[in-house]
Amino acid sequence: MKPIPHEFAIGGVFMPPLLIATVFGAIAAVATARLLNRVRLSKYFFYPPLVFLALTVVYTILIGTFAIGM
Amino acid sequence: MNRAIKSKEAFKTALAMTITYGIALGMGWDKPFWAGFAVAFCSLATFGQSFNKAVLRMAGTLAGTVAALILIALFAQQRWLFILFLSAQVGLCTYIMGGSKYSYFWNVCGLVCVIICMGAGPDSAKAFQLAILRAQETGLGILVYSLVALLIWPTSSRAQFDAVVQKLASTQHQLYRACFELMKGQGDGERLQALKLQEIQERARFDQLLDAAQIDTYEVWEARRQWRRYQGLISELTGTMERWRGSCSELQSLDLEALFPNLASYDVEMDLRYIQSRQMLARQAPDQRPTEIVPVLDEAKLRDLTHFQKATLAVIRSRLQRIEALTRSVFDSICDIGGFGKAAGEVADIPQHGIFVLDPDRATGVIRVVMIMWLAWFALVYIGQLPGGNTVLTMAAVLGMIMGGTPQLSVSLFFFPVAISTFFASILYIFVLPKLSMFLELGLLLFTVTFVICYLFASPKLVLVRLWGLGMFLTITSISNQQSYNFLVAANTALMFPVVFAIVAIAACIPFSPRPERSFMRLLRRFFRSGEAWMAGMHRNPQRRVRRRDRWAMAYHNREVSTLPRKLGAWAKFIDTKALPGTSSQQVQQLVARLQAITYHLQDLSVSGARPQTTLLVEDLSDDVRSWHLMVQKGFKRLSQDPAAGEKNKFQTGLSGVMAHLEAHLKLALDKPDKKRFSVRDCDNFYSLLGAYRGVCEALVDYAASAGAIDWTPWREERF
Repeated sequence: MKPIPHEFAIGGVFMPPLLIATVFGAIAAVATARLLNRVRLSKYFFYPPLVFLALTVVYTILIGTFAIGM
Repeated sequence: MNRAIKSKEAFKTALAMTITYGIALGMGWDKPFWAGFAVAFCSLATFGQSFNKAVLRMAGTLAGTVAALILIALFAQQRWLFILFLSAQVGLCTYIMGGSKYSYFWNVCGLVCVIICMGAGPDSAKAFQLAILRAQETGLGILVYSLVALLIWPTSSRAQFDAVVQKLASTQHQLYRACFELMKGQGDGERLQALKLQEIQERARFDQLLDAAQIDTYEVWEARRQWRRYQGLISELTGTMERWRGSCSELQSLDLEALFPNLASYDVEMDLRYIQSRQMLARQAPDQRPTEIVPVLDEAKLRDLTHFQKATLAVIRSRLQRIEALTRSVFDSICDIGGFGKAAGEVADIPQHGIFVLDPDRATGVIRVVMIMWLAWFALVYIGQLPGGNTVLTMAAVLGMIMGGTPQLSVSLFFFPVAISTFFASILYIFVLPKLSMFLELGLLLFTVTFVICYLFASPKLVLVRLWGLGMFLTITSISNQQSYNFLVAANTALMFPVVFAIVAIAACIPFSPRPERSFMRLLRRFFRSGEAWMAGMHRNPQRRVRRRDRWAMAYHNREVSTLPRKLGAWAKFIDTKALPGTSSQQVQQLVARLQAITYHLQDLSVSGARPQTTLLVEDLSDDVRSWHLMVQKGFKRLSQDPAAGEKNKFQTGLSGVMAHLEAHLKLALDKPDKKRFSVRDCDNFYSLLGAYRGVCEALVDYAASAGAIDWTPWREERF
């Protein structure tokens, strides 16, 4: 079952779920990019900056949908 | 830097910051953090350095405010024209900044223009007030810091300057000795390389401290023309020494002491000059003046050599003569500086720069900063409630100009300094500032925070962190007489930076990849393309009229070949060799050194090619020289298509064939019964040309050998 969309309260400050999902999405994309560099798999991509952008979007949607709820 | 110096410098900056805020708040001025910025950015190690930077900041602020007022007056109601001209102004400043001695002036000029334009918007009355406020706050910050630096523990540049001058003279002496040993076949290449790097660093420090000492030391100011001449001469001497070193590899097994009978006397004279120069720099009168000495070749021993060996010796002799002339001029210059007598001899000619040509790398920086500004503008216009508002464009322009000037810096490098300083500044703004009630308490906070930041990040390597830390603290706290506290200030600032970084990261990929190894390959291709064009230009049909476009193209390629090795050296430091298996940083450095050698030999070829050649020799050997020339040109073309082509054997075989052919024809031409028709000058000029051709070929073969040792496959692979 998907989580119910809700805002995040940190020290009484309410954060929108999209912001939290984007932060985690970007961190996950950075981690993936580093891993791909280390195992030299990034050479199979035509243009890595665009792939990084795509990874950030994909992770944000996945985290937002299945972990946070947006 | 020791603790006492760190504490004193941090104390001075903190005190100046506190007094500045006190005066600005006491006068009821808005935005006192602008005065705080002036203190933070102008606090440097010595009074002279700080004052230099302060003058440039003040002048840049005034120029920027004028530019901003003109733009607002002309385009306040036309937003697209407004951003078009604003970005053009910032682009122009970025371009000039990259090549100007007063780069900080242009940097501030561009930034202040953006700050006022974006702060005032279309309101011309507000723009005028902002412009005046910015100028007076900057002036206040500079004045207060200058007074504090002058009155409390004043640090003159004199001691540091004297130490650097002594050290540089000693390193140059050692460099001369190392080159001389190398010429005799006894040198240590690694030690020479280390000395060369040390000399470059010391010369950069000398240039920096000369500017400062000129301001804070009367004796240096009085002899400033002599010091500038000395600066030019030592720079020229270093270049000549480098060329000399490059030619030494071609000497192979020649017995130099037999070929140059007065080589030992030459060495003794040079040594003496260096020792006397160091003595004068230590304020001791010289024991004796330099004696002119011309290296002489033994004609009888020369007869047994091949023409190529004679050509190599002709090149070495011209190098030794040039070094002799330059060291004599350096000696005279130091004599003049120390007051031991006016410069007696003629000063050796120092090459002057030619006509203006566009620098593609600075132009790329301009494209990036303009694109950053337009992206920020679109975000501002089309995204409602953008965190930070107008400040997004200002911050993007700040980062854009930094990256335009230093494209090697990665966007990610700014992330942690900005994130950490935003976090700490937000903590102080939210939890500490609301508790303060009087200026005594506020002043104590300002003093403590500034002192801690300046003390912890005092090292020159951490200057970026120190400036961001102070900048973010002053911006987020936004201290003013009518202080208000709003969580959104900290939250919006924190959210603004991801937007700014995203914009800068996008622009950094356009028009070229920002990866250092990719940029290195791109510059290598450009270097060889320009080398090819240079060779083609040298063999132009003399009947064809030289048009302005040809002259400009020649000047462009000339400049590219001269400047690209230095730029490649700067990129080489940022290449992550751990991510490139099969490449070491020493190999990359060696490749850059090889390119520098090609540059020197091409410049020699250009000089030798311009000398008059006897038509009889030209007629006899024109076909051979032409085929050799075409072969070198083909080599450059091949490398411009693939700079990684490490085909040393192929290059060497091709060139050896042509050289053997030329040697045979040359022997026939010079050994003809009517040989007397060639004067000594004709032979000298011809051997110089031959030596220069040979130098270019050898340098290309050396490059191919170095390139062949590197595994280029990972360089071509895509990476994040």
